[in-house]
Amino acid sequence: MQSFSADKERFLPALLFFAAVLVPVSFFSVQIAAGRLNAAYPAAWALFTALTGFFIIYTGKVSFYRRIFFGASAALFLVHFKLSLFSAFASVGPGEAPYCHIIMASSFFNYFYQQYLAFMSGDFRLWGPLSAAFLWLFFTLVLGRAWCSWACFAGGIDDLLSALPAHALIKTRLPAGMFRDFPAALLIFMLLVSLAQMLPVYCLWLCPFKLTPVFLDQDAFIRKIQLGLMFFALAVLLLGPLLTKKRTFCSFLCPFGAWQAFWGRLNPFRVTVVDTEECAGCFTCLDSCPMYAIKAGPDGKPERAAYCNLCGECLAACPNGRLSYSVFGLRSPDIKSGFGRLLTPESFLVFSALVTGGTFAALFAPAALKDAVDLLRRLGHLIIK
Amino acid sequence: MFAILSEGFLLGLSTGFHCVMACLPALVPYLLSEGRIAWRANCRIFLEFLAGRFLAYSISAVVASALGKISQPYLPTWAAPLAMALTALFMLASLFFSRQSRPGEKCLVGSNPVFKRVPLAIGFMTGINICPPFVAAFVRLVGLADIGAGLFYFTGFFTATSLFMLPVMAPALFMNERVKDIGRMTLFIAGIWYLILGIKGLL
Repeated sequence: MQSFSADKERFLPALLFFAAVLVPVSFFSVQIAAGRLNAAYPAAWALFTALTGFFIIYTGKVSFYRRIFFGASAALFLVHFKLSLFSAFASVGPGEAPYCHIIMASSFFNYFYQQYLAFMSGDFRLWGPLSAAFLWLFFTLVLGRAWCSWACFAGGIDDLLSALPAHALIKTRLPAGMFRDFPAALLIFMLLVSLAQMLPVYCLWLCPFKLTPVFLDQDAFIRKIQLGLMFFALAVLLLGPLLTKKRTFCSFLCPFGAWQAFWGRLNPFRVTVVDTEECAGCFTCLDSCPMYAIKAGPDGKPERAAYCNLCGECLAACPNGRLSYSVFGLRSPDIKSGFGRLLTPESFLVFSALVTGGTFAALFAPAALKDAVDLLRRLGHLIIK
Repeated sequence: MFAILSEGFLLGLSTGFHCVMACLPALVPYLLSEGRIAWRANCRIFLEFLAGRFLAYSISAVVASALGKISQPYLPTWAAPLAMALTALFMLASLFFSRQSRPGEKCLVGSNPVFKRVPLAIGFMTGINICPPFVAAFVRLVGLADIGAGLFYFTGFFTATSLFMLPVMAPALFMNERVKDIGRMTLFIAGIWYLILGIKGLL
């Protein structure tokens, strides 16, 4: 009886949370897919997102269920966005490539310039880069750096792969300290060169998702270097996490990560040590952080860097449970069950992240589900024949 | 002469944004890497950079006017990429030879005063960069075929385009050791980038 009561204490808030996530995500998903897809596909995606929320609140395991949601979103991105467009890429140039948020950071000055041109030509009322900038600002205020652990498709692949090995084959503490700011250098360089060349330099030179030579330069010498860099980035994205159990692409090569680390300060959510005195200084959190975002502070206690993207790995790893989500680092009551649990910073973060991440993934996830169903149907027909 | 000076100045004013776009990838990484929180130190880097540009423009003015006189309106194609590759090598070398060791740290390579002149080289490289405003000025001077007028023209052009570059001093407000390390990494990437473009132009 006591067990049933305890279960109810967790089940009902989780159910309410499920509904709170389901309503906005299904609304936006259906709107996004309207006229293109059967409503069942966006509804299925919204249901999956809301179920993630349910299990997070019911079990209290943020990172575990986040990873399932995040990995599924990234896998669906690969299914639809890449495979279905693979043949289309043969006939389009970089200017017509589909929208990608990673390029937004490194081409930000270009967007400013284009927006200036739009103003000058009187077309500012039409869809312009400024509109995209407002969307980005909204996401940054709502999620900040958490974007990289809840919504970004490249991050999802890196995150999923980093979870596969049981142990890290290569320990990378030293290079992490030296090169953790490399994405910031890459960002500054790309901002300037993209503007100078009026080209998406990140896409042309580094993006590992191209998987097609269409974007590459006509000059054979430059083409070889671009191909070399593309394969290097692909290795960092795919092999790096398998060898180090860390998100190597996000940590060392993603300019958007550096961009969000800078602007993410606007977002109120943080990971903080609940009681510094009680922290044993074992640095389990440091080893568990897939983003190299925790370092040893001068007082022998862990110090969280701006690169933290609120994935929750350190919260799950801390043997004493001394880490928690907070708003601007302020302490809040530690409520583990009942409806009060829905008013904690953790619940607000998970709600914001799932609604934002779920809606963003609605751009490709329902279509990917349809792709998968179509593929299964075709396979079924083939087997029957 | 005032008319030719103001013509160059107006061309610089109307195309200065393009000049800034071409110069920033070279100047900003260096300023972040070697700049100081003190304005005076950054001003010195900036003025050296401008001196390099002015030198490049003056040489270009003489060359363009001389080419106009002998009716041969073009530059050797290897000149710009060679300067670009050399400056890139200078930028990369400066990473090793201009760094001062911090307290408790030992540098493997000692600082060399030659590499304190990197802003001059970067300014020179961006000065002879074949960008649309530069080409417009160059073509005009080939037509004029007058070395004195050419120098005045490029002086006006240099003055106007330099105005657009003043905002690059702003990052100095945020200078600290971490920013300088980021600047060094950016300088490294920029050096490699210009080296690749230079070699591509030479091949």
